Amino acid sequence: MAENTATISEVKEKEPLLSKKNRKLVTDPLDGNNPITVQVLGICSALAITAQMKPALVMGIAVIFVMCCSSVVTSLIRHTIPGSIRIVVQLAVVATFVIIVNEILLAFVYDVAKNLGAFIGLIITNCIVMGRLEAFAMGNKPWPSFLDAFGNALGYAVIILIVAFFRELLGAGSIFGIKVFEAIGFAYQGNGLMLLPAGASIVLGLLIWLQRSLNGYVEEA
Amino acid sequence: MAKKSNSYVLIYTIVLTIVCGSLLAITSEGLKPYKEANIAFDTKRNILSTVMDISGYSIRDLEALYQKTVVSTYLVNSKGEKVDKPFEQVKIDDEYRKSVEERILPVYELADPKKPGKTAYYVFPMWGFGLWDSIWGWVALEADFINIKGVVFAHKGETPGLGARIAEKDIQTRFTGKKIFDKEQLAVVQMQKGEGNDYTADAHKVDGMSGATITGQGLNKMLSEYFEAYLPFINGQKGGKVSLK
Amino acid sequence: MDLINIGIRSIFVDNMIFAYFLGMCSFLAVSKNVKTAVGLGVAVTFVLALTVPLNWLIYNYALKKGALAWIGPDFAALDLSFLMLIIFISVISAFVQLLEMLIEKFSPALYGALGIFLPLIAVNCSILGGALFMLGRPYGLAEATVFGLGSGIGWLLAVVSLAAIREKLKYSNVPAPLRGLGITFILVGLMSFGFLSFLGFTL
Repeated sequence: MAENTATISEVKEKEPLLSKKNRKLVTDPLDGNNPITVQVLGICSALAITAQMKPALVMGIAVIFVMCCSSVVTSLIRHTIPGSIRIVVQLAVVATFVIIVNEILLAFVYDVAKNLGAFIGLIITNCIVMGRLEAFAMGNKPWPSFLDAFGNALGYAVIILIVAFFRELLGAGSIFGIKVFEAIGFAYQGNGLMLLPAGASIVLGLLIWLQRSLNGYVEEA
Repeated sequence: MAKKSNSYVLIYTIVLTIVCGSLLAITSEGLKPYKEANIAFDTKRNILSTVMDISGYSIRDLEALYQKTVVSTYLVNSKGEKVDKPFEQVKIDDEYRKSVEERILPVYELADPKKPGKTAYYVFPMWGFGLWDSIWGWVALEADFINIKGVVFAHKGETPGLGARIAEKDIQTRFTGKKIFDKEQLAVVQMQKGEGNDYTADAHKVDGMSGATITGQGLNKMLSEYFEAYLPFINGQKGGKVSLK
Repeated sequence: MDLINIGIRSIFVDNMIFAYFLGMCSFLAVSKNVKTAVGLGVAVTFVLALTVPLNWLIYNYALKKGALAWIGPDFAALDLSFLMLIIFISVISAFVQLLEMLIEKFSPALYGALGIFLPLIAVNCSILGGALFMLGRPYGLAEATVFGLGSGIGWLLAVVSLAAIREKLKYSNVPAPLRGLGITFILVGLMSFGFLSFLGFTL
């Protein structure tokens, strides 16, 4: 712990905690450098768990938590990790961390853990976690790594929530399980296609179209 | 020592293995009593909720309600004979790993809360496999052994929002009132493919879950396998009138 | 179960990409041209075909309850399955690391083209998915090997066919903001509808 604060204050001397550069680490992944729609990371889970809003929200929060913690830990030990086994080390850090948190939740807040259990495998194999460890935390100090992880996880959460919103609305006619169409007196026949992963893929494709029309980003073919 | 040397890598790997392994072992073993207490309580709660709505009860009330509602618990084997063994020692997931003939099956007899002391429902625990990992559940039959009073399903790792919906109330209530026998033949209720169809006229079919076909298949397999296993016991209770085919 | 049946099912019917949507990140990112796609596809097939049987051995002879009985009766009650996820992922990442070193040595061009998506094979969910799916099915060692290999070939097939379509797409006038990732997502959705027709197909 002492080591942790020491490193942070070391950064502080050189630049303020929320300098312009550091702020950009958080804001960039929200739109221009979004992990899902630009970096192509974390797609599997974005397609799998977005059939409803609730699991998407839970996953978003869990990924923010796991990414921030594992980025800081990896960044702290980055100088000791030998290059030839760095993938094993990164994944061991993430997996150990996720499993321990789940065990603690299982022991003390069982009802929460019961609902989270299904997310464990998805978090460990979520390439967004390891992608950012490999691309950022391995080469940067803990505080910027934390900001980068937070920004990317937030960008991920925003996109999966938007996709889940459309899938649940069009697929089941509800939002967070509340039947909105019935509430306004309108009979809605759910579109089962939206609940399939293939539907998610198309929604995501259209979302990227919209996002890029707005921010003007064009990919060279 | 140089960071790239083989001995450094080897030592690093060993240290990492020991640190991660012991951290996991310590948390897993150290928290075991808490986890087991939670699971035992959750089991009681699930068994009760197959036959009644328990949403308003506190933890202590549930414990008392369980003592009052559960008339008796015992174990049977695949021939339908009672097995003399401590009830708590039999874990349904351990039994699942044995062959179907060797499994020891728990039975819970529950009373109607309004008429305590008299068996009104039989609850059968089950275990199976979904898409990713284990699924399990409890099925309550009325005393006629034909109609399903209620079910509770749970899972370890099905996809949230898709297969994980088996743990939700709106899927589970689809099974209430369905049948496991067609006249004297076993015809276990099965979940269908596709969602949004009306099966109120067919007592052996329930509406499926869109996008979770494999989990539904695992669920069907679990229901069929366990009711086949419990059939000799049910047969004994009904005076030998029912059969598989 | 028939080995050929398992092989064909894992390639076409239970295709990792189009039936389960696993391993999508690298699938989308590395399908720009056929040559790189073949490289990554072969790498994924290699890792799947080796780690699935290896994880099968580890699970059945070391991790599952009673698996250590072969050492002596004292070990029969030991249950190490809480270590399952971390050991599986470690085995997989060790193989990926090995593969990374081999590719860097023998094909620097491919190494450069794959970029970060080479180490990311370790978190390619189709590989961990393969290891977990095999546990739920009554597979022996031979079946597990065929299943791993078949799943890998299915993945290779999917990534190469998507890359082929994307190469053709260069000559189409796609709206500028939809170019690249956007149209690819829509393509994958449509291709998956095609593969849905295999669902429930048994030999």
